Amino acid sequence: MGAYAIKRLIWLPFLLIIVTFVTFALLRFGPGDPVQLWLGQHQNDEVRERIRDQLGLDDPVHVQYVRYMAGVITRLDFGESFRYRGQPVRELIGKRILVSLQLNAAAIIITLGIGIPVGLLAALRQGTGWDNLIVAIALALQSLPVFITAPVLLLVFALKVDILPTHGFEGFFSPHIVMPAVVMGVPGIAIVVRLVRASVLDVLGQDYIRTARAKGLGETTVRYRHILRNALIPVATSFGFILAGLVGGTFIVETYFGIPGVGLLTVESVIGSRDYPVIMAFAIISTTLFVVANLVVDLMYPWLDPRIRLGAGYAA
Amino acid sequence: MIRNYFRFLAVAALLALAVALLACGGSEEPAESAASSAAASPTAASDSAASTAASPTESAQPTTPAAASVPTVAAMAPGTVDSCAPSADLTFDDRPAQGGTLVRLFADPPTLDPHLAGDAISSEIINEVYGGLVTLSLDYQPVLDLAESCKISDDGLVYTFVLRENAKFQDGKPVTAHDVKWSIERAADPATVSTTAENYLGDIVGVEDKLAGDASDVRGVRVIDDRTVEFTIDAPKSFFLAKLSYPTAYVLDSEQVENNQDWLDQPNGTGPFRLATYDIGELILLERNGLYHLGPPHIESVQMILSGGSAMIMYENDEIHLTGVGVDDLPRILDPNDPLNPELHRSPQDFDVFYVGLNTAEPPFEDPKVRQALNYAVDLQSIADNVYDGRLSPARGVIPRGFPSYTENLRSYEYNPDLARELLQQSTYADALASGDFPRITLTISGSFGAAVPQYLEVMLEQWRSLGIEVEIQQTEWATFLEEVNEKQYHMFTLGWIADYPDPENFLDLLFHSESNNNHTNYSNPEVDRLLEEARIERDRERRFEIYNQVEQMILDDAPWVWTWFSGEGYALIKPEVSDYFLLQMSIPKYRYIYFNQ
Repeated sequence: MGAYAIKRLIWLPFLLIIVTFVTFALLRFGPGDPVQLWLGQHQNDEVRERIRDQLGLDDPVHVQYVRYMAGVITRLDFGESFRYRGQPVRELIGKRILVSLQLNAAAIIITLGIGIPVGLLAALRQGTGWDNLIVAIALALQSLPVFITAPVLLLVFALKVDILPTHGFEGFFSPHIVMPAVVMGVPGIAIVVRLVRASVLDVLGQDYIRTARAKGLGETTVRYRHILRNALIPVATSFGFILAGLVGGTFIVETYFGIPGVGLLTVESVIGSRDYPVIMAFAIISTTLFVVANLVVDLMYPWLDPRIRLGAGYAA
Repeated sequence: MIRNYFRFLAVAALLALAVALLACGGSEEPAESAASSAAASPTAASDSAASTAASPTESAQPTTPAAASVPTVAAMAPGTVDSCAPSADLTFDDRPAQGGTLVRLFADPPTLDPHLAGDAISSEIINEVYGGLVTLSLDYQPVLDLAESCKISDDGLVYTFVLRENAKFQDGKPVTAHDVKWSIERAADPATVSTTAENYLGDIVGVEDKLAGDASDVRGVRVIDDRTVEFTIDAPKSFFLAKLSYPTAYVLDSEQVENNQDWLDQPNGTGPFRLATYDIGELILLERNGLYHLGPPHIESVQMILSGGSAMIMYENDEIHLTGVGVDDLPRILDPNDPLNPELHRSPQDFDVFYVGLNTAEPPFEDPKVRQALNYAVDLQSIADNVYDGRLSPARGVIPRGFPSYTENLRSYEYNPDLARELLQQSTYADALASGDFPRITLTISGSFGAAVPQYLEVMLEQWRSLGIEVEIQQTEWATFLEEVNEKQYHMFTLGWIADYPDPENFLDLLFHSESNNNHTNYSNPEVDRLLEEARIERDRERRFEIYNQVEQMILDDAPWVWTWFSGEGYALIKPEVSDYFLLQMSIPKYRYIYFNQ
C-alpha cells in the first residue's frame, strides 16, 4: 500500500504543473489589467506602462510562469499580493487557511457524525414512519439557504438567548465555532443520509449479509462490521469531493460570523482585483488538497471493503 | 444548490465591497445599488457601504446635534492672516482626554503606505496614522496640519511652508523640512510604484522627471531650513493645496522607512493615532498619540474588527458602537417606537455623480440635439420616487450637493418627452428615425457574473424606446470595463465619479477637458477648454467658482452625458454614549473628535 501511495504522489508534481500553467496562462491572456484596477478611473497610459514593466507583466507568459514557479519551489514564496500591495501571499493566506480548515473539519464532523447514523437508521427502518420523517427533515434542512439559517441562528443564540458569541474565531474548541460549523455542516447531512440509506439498502440485499446472519453472528456485529462498513464506500468517494470543495466555499458563512478565514480572500482575489499571485496560490493549494484527499479516500477503500485491492493496475 | 447560493451571495456582497473600495477612483453604480447588495452582505464596513435613505417626506428624522452638526472653518479660530490657508482646528473643545475604546467593523486596507493608497478604505486608516502639510477641515477646506503657516508667491507658483514647532513623529522626533522633501521624492520614485503620485503631485516641478527616472531628486521641492520648505508648481493652480491633503503627499519618517524593511508594521507617522496592532483579516488597533500637535484625541483607542460579522446583530448586542443601516433593517428602525430609533443618524450623501456617457464622436451622439433629447426623455424624479423610494436623488449637474462651487442655479433637464421628440425632429437624424435607419445604440454597463441590470436603466431604456430609440445593453466585468472605457471604445456606458479632493477641478476639468485622459466621451468644446484653463489659474475663489458654474452650465447644455444620480443620503446607527462622531463625505481624520458621554 505504501508503494501505491508513493506512486500516486509522484503524479502530484506533474498535475500541479499542468494546473498551474493553465491557470497562469488563462489569467495573463484573460481581459482586465491589475494595474488598471489600481489606477481605477484615473487613466494614464504612461503610468500604467511603467508599472506593468516594473512588475514584469509585459514579459512573455512562459518567462513569467517560470519566474513565479521558481519562487514557489525554491523559497515557498508565492509572490506579493496585487490587491493588498506589498503583502506576501504566504502571510496573507497562511493563517487564514488554518482557520478555514478547522471550520471545515468541524462542519464535516457534523455532516458525517449525524448523517451516517441517521442514514443507517432510516435504512434499517425502511418504509416506516421513521424513514419518511428522517428523509423529510433532512431534505428540509438541506433546502434552507445560508442567508436564512445564519441570521436566524445569530438572532436566537447570540442576541435573544445570548449563549454563543456573535463573531470571531478562537480555535477549534471554542464556542465560536458552533454556529458557523452547524450552518455549514447541516445542509450536507441530507446528502449523506440519502447516500448511506441507499447503499445500506443495497448491502442489505447482498448474499454475504445473509451468510453472516446464517453463521450466527449477532445483529450488532452484522450491522456495524458488515452492513455499515460496506455501505460507507460511496460516502468515502463523495467525501473527497466534499473536502476539496469546502476549501473555497465558505465565504458567506465566514462573513456572517466574522471568521478570519480564506473565504473573502478567495472571492475578492478573483472578482474585481485580478490578484494573480493569490489566485495562483489558491490553485496550487486546492490542487494539492484535492489530490491528497482523494488519495486518502482511495487508501480507505481496502479497509472498508477487503475485496478492493490497491495498485493492481500498476502491478502489471 | 447550496453552492450556487454561495456564489450568488458572494457576488452580491462583493459588489457592495467593490463599490466601497473603489470610492476614490470612481464607481460603477450609485450608492443605492451598493445599499441593496450591502443588505445581502452581513458586513457593513464603511458608513456609506450600507447607506440608504428614506423618501424625502420622512426627512424629519431625529438626529442628535452631536453627530449632525459639523463645525465649519468660519467658526474656528482663524489662521495667520497672511497664510494661504487657516490652521487646522486646535481648539475644537477643551474636554480632557479620557479612556475608552471605540469599536467598529472595518475592512482590510489594501495598503497602509500613504504613497501607494488610492482607495477610501486605506485612506481612512492612513488619515488617522499619518499626516501631511495640509489636511481638510470638517467642511472640506484645505487647512494646515504639520505646517503652521504657508505663503504663496505673487505669481502663484511658489508655496512656502513653515512647519509647526511641535510637529513630531509619534516617537517624539521633530518633523523637519528634509522629511517633507524626502517623502515627496519617495512618492515620486519609480521604485515606489505609486499609482497616485502623478495625479496628486504631478503639478510640482520635477515630479514628472523623477517619475520617469530622469532625475534623482524633485527640484520643485527645496529645503530652506529645518522648518521651512518651498514647493514650486508648474502653473498657478489654486487646487494645488487641496491635492496636498491626499495621502500621497503625507510625510514619512525617512530614517524609519530607509532602515526598517518592516516599517509598515509599526509606522512612525504624525497622525492623531498610532497603529498599535494590525492582524491581517482580524484586527486593527489604533492608540492615542499623546504628542499630536493638533491636540491628542479624547479617546484612548479605536478597535476595528476586520473579519466581518453581522453588523446589526453586533450593534444590538452592544459589541460595536456604530454601523451603517441596510435597506432591510431601515423600515423597522425608522419607526419612532423602535428602541433603536433614537440612535439613528442621517449620513450625508457622498461626493459623487453618476451618469450615462455618450460617445460624442460616434453617430448618433455627435448631434447635441440627440443627446439633449435623451436627457429630456428620462423622468428621473419619478424613477427615484417609484422605484427607489426616494433613496437616490436625480443629478441636476456635475458637481454634487455640498461640494465646493455647488450651485442650485443651473438649468438642467426636467422630464419633457414632447420637447425630446421635437429635438429629435430638428436633429440630423429626423429622417433616419422615421425610416427606421436610426443608428443602433449599445449601452455597456459593468457588472460581474450576470449581476442584474439596475432598475433605473430598464425604465430609461423604456422611455427612450417610446421616442423610437432602441438601446441594447451589454454587460462587462469591471476590470475589462475599465480598460475598454479608457480606450474610449464604448458607444454609451454607465459610470460614476467620486471626488478625489475637494475642488471642482476634480470633476469638471478631469472629466470634460478635451485633453483629459478621463474624458471618456470624446467631448470637446473649445470654449469649455478655455474656461477650464482659465479657472485652473484663477486665484480669486469666488471668481473661480463662477467660471466653474459657467462651465458646468455649458456642459449641461452640450449634454455629453445623460445625467442620472447623486447618491442618496444614508443612515447610520451610533450608540448614545458616543458623541462627536461626524458622518463625513470625504476621508478626514475624525476619531480624534469622538468623546464618550459618561
